[in-house]
Amino acid sequence: MQDNKLDSSFKKVVAQITDIGKAWHSDDLIINAKNNVEPDQKSLKDLPPLSAAKQQQAIVISAGPSLHKKNQLEKIKASHYQGTIVAIDGSLVKCLKQGIIPDYVLTLDPHPTRMVRWFGDDNFIEHTKNDDYFSRQDLDINFRNNSIAENEANIALINQYAPQIKLIICSSAPKNVVKRAKEAGFQMYWWNPIVDDPQQAQSLTRAIYQINKFPCMNTGGNVGTAAWVFTNAILNIGRIALTGMDLGYHLDTPVEMTQTYYELQEFANSPEEFNAFFPKFTYPATGEVFYTDPTYYWYRHNFLQLLEKAAGETFNCSEAGTLFADNLPCMPLNEYIN
Amino acid sequence: MSNLLKGNFTPKKQVQANTQESEDSSLQAEFKKAALNSIGGSMVYVERTDLTWSGDDE
Repeated sequence: MQDNKLDSSFKKVVAQITDIGKAWHSDDLIINAKNNVEPDQKSLKDLPPLSAAKQQQAIVISAGPSLHKKNQLEKIKASHYQGTIVAIDGSLVKCLKQGIIPDYVLTLDPHPTRMVRWFGDDNFIEHTKNDDYFSRQDLDINFRNNSIAENEANIALINQYAPQIKLIICSSAPKNVVKRAKEAGFQMYWWNPIVDDPQQAQSLTRAIYQINKFPCMNTGGNVGTAAWVFTNAILNIGRIALTGMDLGYHLDTPVEMTQTYYELQEFANSPEEFNAFFPKFTYPATGEVFYTDPTYYWYRHNFLQLLEKAAGETFNCSEAGTLFADNLPCMPLNEYIN
Repeated sequence: MSNLLKGNFTPKKQVQANTQESEDSSLQAEFKKAALNSIGGSMVYVERTDLTWSGDDE
């Protein structure tokens, strides 16, 4: 799929996404930043230096379906990988279950009830009532099943390993995530999201910075991209592999299972227009076909734009999905590791 | 305009303007806005800015 072949209704929805985000989030960003200020907090500026082996290369582990479909964590575990491992909130439990303890875990989303689930939710029953967010995603089957026993096991697992992990936590994090992170014993390092041009006098980014003086990072709109920005621009690691970074769906995923299936119906006037919201991409290394949606396409566009500004090399080792470009070659994960 | 359209007689019954249509369209706009918020993902993204900002120019 070439960008210029995309349907006009699809392009129209994507174009609106950039404009709405700031208005939607601005109150939460300020409120959460104020709530999250405490004495003696560490920020990205306080991160200790990496060892030589860890500085050399990194794997960013996002939480796309290829992570389990391609057995990526099993490959990492089997390789006894010595580079840096950066996970996101959504892939943390899966890593720990495989016996992989990430060096860093990123969390970003300000959602008041959903994100804490990734860390084991003390208020699980209340938060999952009438919310099919997790069951509609192509994740680890145990997360989709909304099991109380699974949640309890996740709490215990995270409590066991959190003290060994640096949580790279955004000032936008909701109260329950912060409370849970402290309770589990993560080493917490704070940062702010760049949400507009900080050079402007009325900048919201600048207003958030004034609250806490934490360094700011561009997120690309999602935590997976934020994890890559952190690895590239904060850790300054020059060779990075992405895995679980699909930004798309396998063809056997029913469209009803996609993240914004219900919402997209508001924008389509016909079944043909609705179908155009899910364009297909062929993964160049395998010829396998995937489809995307406006949100993932927007993330993809943002990532590729940020990549233009980045130093070093990045490889997409997800072995699936829609994220590839001339300056973002695809590579099997085992080939990257070895 | 309302002056030009004013009638030159007094109706026997008080006439109420039909507001249903405008309420429907504003409800639809609300749904659309809520949908767009969901589609907008987890965080704001800003084009044409650097990867990081340290606030050192404060």
